[in-house]
Amino acid sequence: MSKEWVRYPLGLILHPFNGFWDLKYDRDQKQSVILSFAILLLLSLTNILGRQYSGFLVNIYDSRYFNSVMEIVYVVVPVLFWCVANWSLTTLMDGEGKFVEIFTSTCLALTPLVLINFPWIWLSNLLSLQETTFYFFSTSAAVIWFVFLLFVGNMTVHQFSPLKTIGTILLTILAMGFIAFLCMLFFSLMQQIVAFITVIYQELAMRK
Amino acid sequence: MLKKIVTAKTSLLALLCCLLGLSAGADLAGAEGNGASYNYSYWGTAVNAPPAYMPTDLYRGEDMGSGALKDPSDLHVTADGQIYVLDSGNNRILKLNEEFKVQQIIDSFLLDGKQETFLNPQGLFVSGDKQLIVADTGHKRVVILDEKNELISVLEAPESELLSATFQFQPIRVVMDHAQRVYVMATGVFDGFMEFNAEGEFSSFIGANRVNVDPVDYFWKQISTKAQRSQMIMFTPTEFTNLDIDEEGFIYATNGDEWGQNIKKLNAQGSDILRRTGYYDPQGDLVYTSDIGPSRLIDIDVTDSEIYSVLDSKRGRVFTYSGDGHFMYVFGGIGNQLGEFNTPTAIDRLGDDFIVLDKALGEITRFRATEYGRTLNEAIRSYYRGDDEAAYEWFNKTIGLNANLEFAYAGIGKALVRQGDYNDAMKQFKRSMDQRNYSKAFLLYRKQVMREHFTLIMTTLAVLVIGWIVFRRYRKAVKRRGLTV
Repeated sequence: MSKEWVRYPLGLILHPFNGFWDLKYDRDQKQSVILSFAILLLLSLTNILGRQYSGFLVNIYDSRYFNSVMEIVYVVVPVLFWCVANWSLTTLMDGEGKFVEIFTSTCLALTPLVLINFPWIWLSNLLSLQETTFYFFSTSAAVIWFVFLLFVGNMTVHQFSPLKTIGTILLTILAMGFIAFLCMLFFSLMQQIVAFITVIYQELAMRK
Repeated sequence: MLKKIVTAKTSLLALLCCLLGLSAGADLAGAEGNGASYNYSYWGTAVNAPPAYMPTDLYRGEDMGSGALKDPSDLHVTADGQIYVLDSGNNRILKLNEEFKVQQIIDSFLLDGKQETFLNPQGLFVSGDKQLIVADTGHKRVVILDEKNELISVLEAPESELLSATFQFQPIRVVMDHAQRVYVMATGVFDGFMEFNAEGEFSSFIGANRVNVDPVDYFWKQISTKAQRSQMIMFTPTEFTNLDIDEEGFIYATNGDEWGQNIKKLNAQGSDILRRTGYYDPQGDLVYTSDIGPSRLIDIDVTDSEIYSVLDSKRGRVFTYSGDGHFMYVFGGIGNQLGEFNTPTAIDRLGDDFIVLDKALGEITRFRATEYGRTLNEAIRSYYRGDDEAAYEWFNKTIGLNANLEFAYAGIGKALVRQGDYNDAMKQFKRSMDQRNYSKAFLLYRKQVMREHFTLIMTTLAVLVIGWIVFRRYRKAVKRRGLTV
């Protein structure tokens, strides 16, 4: 059982078509969801540790603005936006995927980012400036791998053709932009309402 | 009674508001750097720094013994401390000693037996062998006098196919190099500086600025008709605003460019060879409000060790950079106090002091280095000489006075590398955000560690490999026994 927890994502990233098929039709959904959350957590952890402990030559950051909570947000919010946007679009476009399946396939696709970036946090401290090429090569490889897995996962989960998947992915990115815009609108409106109410309260309180 | 309390409360509130406003204002001023001393960090933000130069004296024409100056526009200090001030409004040149007392007033010279005067001259330069070069703008000529104020030659509007027929020769700034070549900055010339050879003949233009085209303007120009286009402003390169020449004959020039490089170091071919290895390119103020805009540099002065200073006419500040392009210090400002100017127009160094000429007020302000300024100057100089020991000492002292000076840590780091203390050097380079040198120190450190612990590392590796082999054999044996049993 415990071996299975590790073996499944590792198998999935090497054999994505089989892995995502299993995810959709064969596997226990509850287990996949737990696994997904674990991967999200691990990715957040990798990013936080990477920000803090990566070698100076690959990681210049302003420590005054370092915020672990924001690092988690940078992982969780895009994934959430992606899932919501993708789900909203694919329900209209005859996709077969449920929200849970979209979520788990997306999170499992993030596995290479954890697997490759985590060891590099420490290895990058042992590099000279010329050798940082290896670092940047592997991190970009991780991103490309992730994008490929995302593509395969999306295709399998919705049972789309490759071309349709690419189209959906592009539309999803557009929809993510819309969602972000709406969120900003919503928050700024809320802020103004809250400010308005506080001002009214202050006016009333200071009348005496 | 109640009313009294209410008024007391409101006044208190008003006071609080004022205080809040004050603190907010102070914050803003800090970001802009309100004429007080500051430096820019690696992150491009203004950080406080101790003043490197303090105004000490103010000299007027009356103090010098020459009568009031009228619109003076340029000054020059020779190596032996003689100060030449170009009193443009009075068409004369004052030669001052180090105490700012007039030694001589030059207002005329003999040309072909006739007494000639200047007319609204705008620029002057004194060469190493005390030749005085004056840009006699009103008379459209450049006058070169020798040490005894006798005429050597006059450069007049050149005849060349490089120049248009309607060309008006209006020289405003001049310099001369060791080979007696004269470089003239003239108004309305967009092709760079005019170079005159030792015989006084115009030879070529040097160092033209590039044309900067606003994309929006370019778009409109593309879609307009020929007739419309002829009515529009032409895209011309920015004009230079000033120039100076260093000991090796390189020309340092400033221009009014708002987007491109506004400081240049030109070699004999006219290409820009200024080293820009600081955290950002030398350009005056990095952080500015959009209503005033970026710095407009109108004078440049280069001294020993490739240290150069530029004068920003918008805010009246003098910025000094090291030869590597690190921002060293700033002082000055627009205002009415000592050390602030109305219309600053020229700067120069008198030894290690700065003198700044104010055109409208006709005054010269002298700034003397504080301990911090002296220390930093010495640190940069010893580093430039390659004297690592001294640089280490001076940079350490500088850090003691201003821990925010990031590039100074790199100076310490380099000395530490020389001493073989690689690990500490790495720490210093990290502080100064210097990845290149950090990497160099790190490579040396890695080699050192590997060499020291070679036996340990190899032993561990060997033990691990042997252990793994033994473990696999053991497991196989167990499995086999399990099968047979």
